Amino acid sequence: MAKKTYDLLFKLLLIGDSGVGKTCVLFRFSDDAFNTTFISTIGIDFKIKTVELQGKKIKLQIWDTAGQERFHTITTSYYRGAMGIMLVYDITNAKSFENISKWLRNIDEHANEDVERMLLGNKCDMEDKRVVLKTKGEQIAREHGIRFFETSAKANINIEKAFLTLAEDILKKTPVKEPNSENVDISSGGGVTSWKSKCCS
Amino acid sequence: MEFGEESSPALAFEKNAFELTVEDVYDISYVIGRDLLKISSTGEEVSDLQFRIVRVLEMFETLVNKYNLSLEEMKMERDNLRSELDRIMKDGSSSGQSIQTGGPNQLVVDLTDPNRPRFTMQELKEVLQERNQLKAQLMVAQEELQLYKSGILPQAEPALVEVDLTPPAAIENILLQYENSQGSNHTVIRGSPVRMP
Repeated sequence: MAKKTYDLLFKLLLIGDSGVGKTCVLFRFSDDAFNTTFISTIGIDFKIKTVELQGKKIKLQIWDTAGQERFHTITTSYYRGAMGIMLVYDITNAKSFENISKWLRNIDEHANEDVERMLLGNKCDMEDKRVVLKTKGEQIAREHGIRFFETSAKANINIEKAFLTLAEDILKKTPVKEPNSENVDISSGGGVTSWKSKCCS
Repeated sequence: MEFGEESSPALAFEKNAFELTVEDVYDISYVIGRDLLKISSTGEEVSDLQFRIVRVLEMFETLVNKYNLSLEEMKMERDNLRSELDRIMKDGSSSGQSIQTGGPNQLVVDLTDPNRPRFTMQELKEVLQERNQLKAQLMVAQEELQLYKSGILPQAEPALVEVDLTPPAAIENILLQYENSQGSNHTVIRGSPVRMP
């Protein structure tokens, strides 16, 4: 048996207004940690996390974008490569919820047509400061035919579930390929397909 | 003494021409008029002179009036400009030290501000790409190191090392491969394929 690092590579993208907690959501998922100090993301960053779904090792390459408008040209150039996009808003910030339509439009304009989308209402631990009802989030998600979770990076609510669900939805759409020769290139490209070396069972 | 009596209106004759007011002109008229009266008692040949003097005094009155009005207008204009300047200077110093608007869609940058914008979006893009590439390479190196440490990889055979450098343009290719599952245009650093003995 050969040692394989992963079977599939999925590229995910986090978008949404500045300060809604995209970086914190990702940090919770990748490092299972939370940091209260707010450092605005500069342009674009990424993290890697390997998960196992249906017996497959799936490497998630998750791109974290800056929500600030001034980085728009940099961040939108990363939409096209994404297989899954998480649109995050802050349940204590009405503006971030209103802007969902703007972000969805960005997806339509810049992302791949069959990209898997998901809506997250973050900071759901701050119930006393909530201004966006959960039903509102559910409604807009239903209207656009996308999944919805309320999450909290701080209290670790639904974070892993959201990422795994998104990965699963992408996996369902991924064509099953038989591993071929030992020379299969496991660059990012080849890694997207199944990769196993020759002697694999 | 007659002099003390008429000293006040007669003073107008001694004034600087540019400081004359219409009142001074009236004083001058008064003095000249009185002097004419004294002379006129001697004969009537002064009456022509009297009309001419009156005419000159009228012209004099108009000129002095006009001059004073213009002077007043200019002083007002000067004061307005001065307060306008003060207002602009005050606005300028209070509206942020480094960045002011210089018109629609324009920024005025203070060259002495150490935090002034200096780099282009393209430059930032390149730096971020390089940062992300290095980060990806570090992850690969760490992963590989872990494999060596855990004894999974034999020392003799280098691991198959993959580096995903995917800048935006390259991501597109990955998506194509995702669909076609063949070929690659990516930067791949590879040793010999990993095989168990």
